[in-house]
Amino acid sequence: MKELKDQTQDNAERTRERRLYTPSVDIIERESDTLLLADMPGVDENGLDITVEKRSLTIYGKVDAEIPEKHTLVSSEYGIGDYQRSFTLSDEVDTEKIQATIKNGVLRLVLPKADSARIKKIPVTAGV
Amino acid sequence: MTIKHLFPVAKTSPEPSGEEHPIMSLRREMDSMFDNFFRGFGFEQAEGALQAFNPKIDVTDTEKEIKVYAELPGIDEKDVDVSITKDTLTIRGEKREESEKKEKDYHRIERSYGSFSRTLHLPVEIEADKIDAQLKKGVLTITLPKSVRAVEDTKKIQVKVE
Repeated sequence: MKELKDQTQDNAERTRERRLYTPSVDIIERESDTLLLADMPGVDENGLDITVEKRSLTIYGKVDAEIPEKHTLVSSEYGIGDYQRSFTLSDEVDTEKIQATIKNGVLRLVLPKADSARIKKIPVTAGV
Repeated sequence: MTIKHLFPVAKTSPEPSGEEHPIMSLRREMDSMFDNFFRGFGFEQAEGALQAFNPKIDVTDTEKEIKVYAELPGIDEKDVDVSITKDTLTIRGEKREESEKKEKDYHRIERSYGSFSRTLHLPVEIEADKIDAQLKKGVLTITLPKSVRAVEDTKKIQVKVE
């Protein structure tokens, strides 16, 4: 069962001149919800933008860090930029009840399963 | 002071000083060229999957101080240890795994975990008791003030036009 489909490849052109990074994520399925963890160092709750449009979930994290004045960057392994990644949600996710928290640069999204998605057993009766 | 000395040359232990083989620097250049090229295309997602966690580091410099930034998402300040010797700075720590992970069904694991250690050469003398380290939003910022002697020793060389 694939609840979340990655959309990273179909990027539309962006309007902001800024580097955009794809955050690493863990997606864990639990009994009544799906947990998504994303590493977004440099992002806090004010810089976070999570949208659900139709069945498309987009996480966007704005990084405020700039190189301080008079400083020159002498070595760079990560570069400064924002984070963005989109996923397609299946009908199983109850989009009204998504919860998001961020701590120490890690976003934690809880995607509850809709009631209709819980497994139902359909009784089969023999036809006459 | 040469800029080259500021680079975090070692992942686990300081590199012995001296000249580097030219092939090695070419290789490093090629590696970083590929890394930079594929950055932003979504290829790097799987990168961390098989490796242990190793933080990425940026370094900036002014006349008076050096700032070192390390990306440490999901790490508490109690799990980070910053130490300094005469000419090296070491950042050690551990990124702990989510407890949920063990028993549940997962679809995607891209984030990495484990203990790490990074050592950077310091190019100049540092005021060891005035070092400041702050962990905020998953980014560790270490400010290293250069010692008075190191600041005074720096000379600017005028370039003349003939």
